[in-house]
Amino acid sequence: MTDSFPILLLVMAAAAFFCRIAGFTLMRLVPVSPRVGAALRATPLAVMAGITTLALVQGGLAEGLALGAVVVLTRVIGSDVTAALLGVAVVALLRWAGL
Amino acid sequence: MAGVSFTWDGFWRGVRDGMPLGVSIFAYGLGFGLVAAQAGFGIGKAVATSAAIYSGSAQLAAVNLLQTGSATLWALFATILVINARYILFGAALQPWLGQVGAPKAYGSLLLLGDANWMFCMRAIAAGETDRAYLAGTGAPMLAGWLSGTAIGAGAVSFLPEPQALGFDLMLPAFAAAMTTAMVRRGTDLVPVAVGAAAALAIAGTLGPAAAIIGAGLAGGAVAALMHREPG
Repeated sequence: MTDSFPILLLVMAAAAFFCRIAGFTLMRLVPVSPRVGAALRATPLAVMAGITTLALVQGGLAEGLALGAVVVLTRVIGSDVTAALLGVAVVALLRWAGL
Repeated sequence: MAGVSFTWDGFWRGVRDGMPLGVSIFAYGLGFGLVAAQAGFGIGKAVATSAAIYSGSAQLAAVNLLQTGSATLWALFATILVINARYILFGAALQPWLGQVGAPKAYGSLLLLGDANWMFCMRAIAAGETDRAYLAGTGAPMLAGWLSGTAIGAGAVSFLPEPQALGFDLMLPAFAAAMTTAMVRRGTDLVPVAVGAAAALAIAGTLGPAAAIIGAGLAGGAVAALMHREPG
């Protein structure tokens, strides 16, 4: 690797920037029909379910219990942000306990 | 679409909602700073990397690649493209909402796009958020946390507790699980959840987690499009 750091930085920034704007720019050219709108509205739930599933598969008992607690707490408390923060506290506690 | 606005009011509402994200991203930043310091980056280089790429997973991969000593510019570019490809999907999902304001505001906001604030923003949009500055607002505390965390971590503060011991690595999945639970209101909402989970499971084993997240979003969107029935 002989390239200087600023050049490396520029190349990495360009790739990251491209990913941030490409989908948005592409969709400006596509008319958003009700069908496309339904697909776009469904992506957050699918992505978040995917993220949760991967964490469950990669994690152990502590992670599984904490994420289960998050789901229950969201329903009980009615605040997803509070439930998520409590879930992080639960996993920290379980790991500290050696689980 | 009802009212379209881009105000400081909406920005600060986003900042307030994004504060817990900023704290957890700060802990991630410490982790990246430590890794960067071990790879021979000084504080300046580490912070510059965090500012230029602003994506934890992509930066860790880039630092790993640079450490091998045989990384080409193209390999570096491709690595970040592959790991961050999910942002293409995130930006597409935001477009019908964010595209209602002018290009400078929209593209400026996209610079602050991250995983967690995309989730926050999509939830807010579903709940009727009309102020487009909300996205940049949620991103601001995350960027501040990411840069300050990187700086302190790269300062090789080795007596810091491991971010993992405090559970911060579970922050993103915990928010994902909580928001999924909150956003499922009808039985049909469970369809993208099930499709996303199944797709992620099927893809992760062979193509890795980055592809699994994109696959989950694409599969969920495709099934929703197929199930869509025009009213009347």
